[in-house]
Amino acid sequence: MKTRAAGFLAAVVVIVLGLFFFSGPFYEVKEGQQAVITQFGSIVATDTQAGLKVKIPFIQDVTIYPHKIMSWDGDPQLIPTLENQFIWVDTTARWRITDLKRFYEAVKTLDRAYARLNDIIDPAVRQVISTNPLIEAVRSTDAINQSQHSSAVMDANGEEIKGLNDLISARTSYNTIKIGRNQINADILKAVKGNIERQFGITVIDVLIRQIRYSDQLTQSVYNRMISEREQIAAGYRSYGQGKKQEILGKMEREKKTILSAAYAKAQEIKGKADAKAAQIYAQAYSEDPSFFQFWRSMESYRQTLPQFPKTLSTNMDYFKYLYSPQGR
Amino acid sequence: MAERSSRLTLTPRFIVVLIVLAVVGFLAFNAVFLVDQTEESVVLTFGKYSRTEGPGLHFKIPFVEANYNVVTRIVQTMDFGFRPNNPGVFGLGDSDQKTSYKSESTMLTGDLNIVDITWIIQYRITDARQWLFNLDAKEKTIRDITQSVVNQLVGDRAILDILGTERLAIESKAVQKINALFRSYKIGVLVTNVQLKDIMPPSGSVKAAFEDVNVAFQDMNRLINEGQQTYNQEIPKAAGEAQQMIQVAEGYATERVNNALGEVARFKDVLAEYRRAPQVTRERLYIETMQHVLSDSKDTELIDKKLTNFLPFKNLGSGTVLDNPAPETKPAPTVDSKPESKGVQP
Repeated sequence: MKTRAAGFLAAVVVIVLGLFFFSGPFYEVKEGQQAVITQFGSIVATDTQAGLKVKIPFIQDVTIYPHKIMSWDGDPQLIPTLENQFIWVDTTARWRITDLKRFYEAVKTLDRAYARLNDIIDPAVRQVISTNPLIEAVRSTDAINQSQHSSAVMDANGEEIKGLNDLISARTSYNTIKIGRNQINADILKAVKGNIERQFGITVIDVLIRQIRYSDQLTQSVYNRMISEREQIAAGYRSYGQGKKQEILGKMEREKKTILSAAYAKAQEIKGKADAKAAQIYAQAYSEDPSFFQFWRSMESYRQTLPQFPKTLSTNMDYFKYLYSPQGR
Repeated sequence: MAERSSRLTLTPRFIVVLIVLAVVGFLAFNAVFLVDQTEESVVLTFGKYSRTEGPGLHFKIPFVEANYNVVTRIVQTMDFGFRPNNPGVFGLGDSDQKTSYKSESTMLTGDLNIVDITWIIQYRITDARQWLFNLDAKEKTIRDITQSVVNQLVGDRAILDILGTERLAIESKAVQKINALFRSYKIGVLVTNVQLKDIMPPSGSVKAAFEDVNVAFQDMNRLINEGQQTYNQEIPKAAGEAQQMIQVAEGYATERVNNALGEVARFKDVLAEYRRAPQVTRERLYIETMQHVLSDSKDTELIDKKLTNFLPFKNLGSGTVLDNPAPETKPAPTVDSKPESKGVQP
């Protein structure tokens, strides 16, 4: 009887102990986790250190939250910039739960936390983007104005083509920016931070613009602009080439004329000198007896020219002096 | 008997031994763990960090300690703007083997143009503990940060620079900036490499326009070469023609002078003889010349002024013979009688 009672007691103790341990006076907070301990719904403790912990079974509840850097990814928003160009802005943020008590009170679940973040970050992005010109969100520095090297055109010998570069790179100076993307990111973060930390116990570590794209309509007009820019440069190249070709042909024509006319001049000079020399030679010799020269040269000339003409001769000629009489006329 | 006893040893004692063995075996199985050469293992004791183990066989207290293995030695790759169609097969991720993600690759450049960039990053987990316990959405965070940084770097440059010389600068700056952010988050990841793959203007007519610039550049050089070619064809030829002209002139000059010299020499010789007997020589030369001039033509006509009625009338004006004679008042014009002149029709 006694042993039976003892046995029964032992069984009860085992069951109670079992229940006790099963329902857990112990709980584990892992690395990367944090816990809120509530007693009948009200917070009695928060626990951010990892390890094995003790609580009062049945009475206290433990809710585990991440103690890690969390990621927030907003849907891309179509936002007009200050100059009223519509762009898609895609932002991303990192956040963590820093005030567990407040987080538990105000948000409680991660889903609701994401919803709150959407409610706060999206309008902040919209507000900052729409009060700044597009380039402030796109560019970070003015470094773009310092590098012009790849727009410089080299010819086949690696030399810069001066006139052509002036032609095609007319628009190489870009507006300077006032704040830039880093500051845009910082402005968004600033707009987000104050609200969210005080209300929800969440710290937003950073908000970064992940991507900016033109709206579809704008994309098409930007494409057209890009095409026309390229076409203008292509036309520049072709026209430059054409011009160069004409220049070379013109130069060729000039040189050709120069060469040929110089040669003509020289040839005439040579001929002239020869003519002069010949004249001198003739004059010197013929002036020894001008009357005989006249006669002799005439005879020479008749010999050359007369046989070609049809002739009707008069007997008056001296040649026919003896035609009618041996005594002559 | 021995056989039967061994088969029938299901005594309570034996069952207890079996249970104990099973429990011990189960515990032993849970007390060891393997860490691969490529991994590190983080051991938690009741959820709290206790140690990090390297490759090999290690012991832990069953149910109290838990191990998490993390691949830390292998460099991992993440793709942006495309996904390989068969991931994990390296070296085959060429253009025909991948799906493009335009939503990732389309970006704005600093001169407000649109460019299409695909790239990859290579990263390695350097701190298994930080990697496991400091970061929630691991892959997504790496992806978000990388995209943001590359977008920002592209947004700070002109499209021609991006297509041209700035590729390396973007890559190295991206590595720096991404790592700086990761360090500030303390998430135990190191990006070793950012590699821009394809940098292209938007496909279609924009890309065609960009390519046309290259074609135009070639056209330009071709036109210049054509001009140069014509130049090279013509100028040496002209130089040759010039030389020819001069040579011809030189030849003329020599001929002219030599002719003069020859003629003068002949004249001087004749003159010397003439001076010995001027009248006779003059007569002889005249007659000889006339003989030569008149002997070789057959249709020479001879008229006598005084005997015009005997001989046929020759009209010198029209060159035709008329039947009716001209009146006396209009005598036929004839050449006059000086020896130097001759009967010539104009």
